[in-house]
Amino acid sequence: MKILVGYKRVVDYNVRVQVKADGTGVVTEGVKLSANPFDDIALEEALRLREKGVAEEVVIVGIGPADLTAHLRNGLAMGANRAIHVTTTEAVQPLTAARVLLKLVEKESPGLVIVGKQAIDDDANQTGQMLAALWDRPQATFAGKVEIADGKATVAREVDAGMETLDVDLPAVITTDLRLNEPRFIKLPDIMKAKSKPIDVIELGSLGVDTGDHLKITHYAAPPKRSKGVMVKDAAELVAALKHKGLL
Amino acid sequence: MTDPRLADLARRAPETRLLTEPSDLEHYGRDWTRRWTPAPLAIALPSTAGDVQAIVRWAREHQVTIVPSGGRTGLSGGAVAAHGELVVAFDRMNQVLGFDPVDATLTVGPGIALEAVQNAAREHGLAYPVDFAARGSCSIGGNIATNAGGIRVIRYGLTRQWVAGLKFVTGTGELLELNRGLVKNASGYDLRHLVIGSEGTLGMVVEATLWLAPPPPPTQVMLLAVPAMDALMRVFAVARVKLQLEAFEFFTDRALEHVLAHGAQAPFDVLSPYYVVAEFDAGDEASQAAALDMFEACLEAGWVTDGVISSSDAQAASLWRLREGITESLARYKPYKNDISVRIGAVPAFMADMHGLLAREYPTFDVVWFGHIGDGNLHINVLKPDELDQESFVAQCEVVTKHLAAMLHKHGGSISAEHGIGLVKKPYLEGTRSHEEIALMRGIKAVLDPDGIMNPGKVF
Ligand SMILES: Cc1cc2nc3c(=O)[nH]c(=O)nc-3n(C[C@H](O)[C@H](O)[C@H](O)COP(=O)(O)OP(=O)(O)OC[C@H]3O[C@@H](n4cnc5c(N)ncnc54)[C@H](O)[C@@H]3O)c2cc1C
Ligand SMILES: Cc1cc2nc3c(=O)[nH]c(=O)nc-3n(C[C@H](O)[C@H](O)[C@H](O)COP(=O)(O)OP(=O)(O)OC[C@H]3O[C@@H](n4cnc5c(N)ncnc54)[C@H](O)[C@@H]3O)c2cc1C
Repeated sequence: MKILVGYKRVVDYNVRVQVKADGTGVVTEGVKLSANPFDDIALEEALRLREKGVAEEVVIVGIGPADLTAHLRNGLAMGANRAIHVTTTEAVQPLTAARVLLKLVEKESPGLVIVGKQAIDDDANQTGQMLAALWDRPQATFAGKVEIADGKATVAREVDAGMETLDVDLPAVITTDLRLNEPRFIKLPDIMKAKSKPIDVIELGSLGVDTGDHLKITHYAAPPKRSKGVMVKDAAELVAALKHKGLL
Repeated sequence: MTDPRLADLARRAPETRLLTEPSDLEHYGRDWTRRWTPAPLAIALPSTAGDVQAIVRWAREHQVTIVPSGGRTGLSGGAVAAHGELVVAFDRMNQVLGFDPVDATLTVGPGIALEAVQNAAREHGLAYPVDFAARGSCSIGGNIATNAGGIRVIRYGLTRQWVAGLKFVTGTGELLELNRGLVKNASGYDLRHLVIGSEGTLGMVVEATLWLAPPPPPTQVMLLAVPAMDALMRVFAVARVKLQLEAFEFFTDRALEHVLAHGAQAPFDVLSPYYVVAEFDAGDEASQAAALDMFEACLEAGWVTDGVISSSDAQAASLWRLREGITESLARYKPYKNDISVRIGAVPAFMADMHGLLAREYPTFDVVWFGHIGDGNLHINVLKPDELDQESFVAQCEVVTKHLAAMLHKHGGSISAEHGIGLVKKPYLEGTRSHEEIALMRGIKAVLDPDGIMNPGKVF
């Protein structure tokens, strides 16, 4: 079986994201960029399935500008067999990403697609679901545990009330949640080896997918600053303050 | 408050809170060393510099001695109060008092935690670069009093480098304003630097103005498996040329085993005798390529056998945990700690000598090495076997420390790299400082603290 993994690059989780002064986006220059944490989890899970003998090949997919290569090399160093780099200089919205993935699915015929439940830049939580719908195959989202046997994936999902277990027929789409696994460290010798692993470069325009803007982003703004708390002397003052705000 | 001296103190420093509960005396009377039984007279928590002056004047009159106290994370017993001293703790003087964007300075009370200073700097888009594992509990006052170092000295220097100004109450109760944030000030002796590293023996820091740095660029962390001691400094020599290092630390397999037993994630399948944690600027692809070059060169030379690299800041943090978790993972063994330094270039020769000494003198003890090897600073922790009682354990260790001090003397090193002398290293000061130097230090103390009330019995 072949596993296709979505592997997006985002501003690192630990960076304090700053909105550009003109409100057209967030500052990414001089800022640490890393793999979307849920995608690292997706890749880790795919690698574990390969190590268990369930899969033979793990292919990572990145959609983005030319300098995405270094990011994809990291995924290859982590253990993916090869990478597909769909090049574009435009921002990619979830529906476009899902359509691109569908094209690649048609080309590669994977038995399983694993993507993050969301990317931590736009937090959209849509790509996996949209891909499953377009592909017309089952989906198991928010995976906390995955087992594959007899052409089926048994997936324990993280839901509000606890865990829900689903059996889905393969091929299917799985989206990863945080507790599925802890991604391995990249070994330096593997970075050297990864230099010779193949990266197929495909121009997004050549795939013939509709990339029209489905959503228009008008502007970005930082969340309003929380105003400082007020100290009250006693209960009476507290009651008065609450009444003044119309809360009592 | 039955003690009439304390009643007088309460009158003269009315804003100061006084604590005398046994649990407070114990809590405030000791630091991370657990060798002395705390027995202070009382704890004073002043809220202003004026109060601190009043406390000193009171102490002179009543001939009570004072132990200044910060976060009590000190590892040399500097903040131990075991002889009826008044502990002056700065918990209530812990505010950010000002920020100047043109000077890029932050003014703080001495009791503020290092981490709170780092966070306040970040709020202004800047960084306070002194950093180490005790950041959440240690105080700026304590950092200044010990000239604390940590994991980024290799890039940013010690606390000394970041002190732009100090308000300081001497052992006579005088309030001095030292340097006042001036970059240039060629007007006589720089008393600020005398205060830094004085371990509370000259007076008390009551306010500090700190320089802030531009925030560091994005970085990556490597963990390298190093097969032999003499390869450590060879790796360092390559790394410091090829990379802009932010940190270069080492630890041994013994250290790793303790951290793993404490719950950390194993980085490699097989153990290696030595490990290096290196953090470096990785803002662009060129520097990442340089890191790989460096690794390849070391691999070819046989100086490293394996390595991993962080691919996110979260992974960087888990690699750091392997190094920063060591002190905590050893705490339960009540380790006897040595914190020594030699010239960076002298590290290999010194380590070889020391290895021989430890193998000879401690054949049965578990000895854990780690430290800031890029600064020539090694932490040697000897773990107490459960069956041995504390006293005979320390006695045995002190014999070895004497040999170690002699060896350091031969190599031109120091018995305390960054933890201070306090009580723990006092017997060995003469191995590192000459008689003439120590006599001068005493002379200086006599001028600033003529009655000898400030942290007596510490350092010398
Ligand atoms: C897990 C761990 C890791 C550590 N790592 C490092 C490290 O990497 N590098 C390093 O340098 N240290 C390290 N330390 C040691 C310790 O944290 C530092 O020495 C720190 O600077 C002590 O600060 P503190 O506020 O806890 O001081 P305390 O322990 O309270 O006091 C230390 C000394 O400073 C004096 N003092 C405190 N406040 C004042 C004041 N306002 N005015 C005058 N004198 C004062 C005390 O009298 C005492 O002599 C580590 C400790 C721990 C527990
Ligand atoms: C054109 C010009 C430009 C200058 N620009 C600058 C500048 O940009 N920045 C700056 O800081 N200064 C500047 N200076 C001042 C001067 O050059 C510096 O102060 C310099 O450091 C003095 O060095 P010197 O050897 O001439 O010392 P001297 O003038 O010989 O002595 C200066 C002081 O040092 C003492 N001294 C000398 N040698 C020793 C020793 N071995 N041990 C102990 N004490 C000693 C002397 O007793 C005296 O107190 C400038 C001077 C000139 C003429």
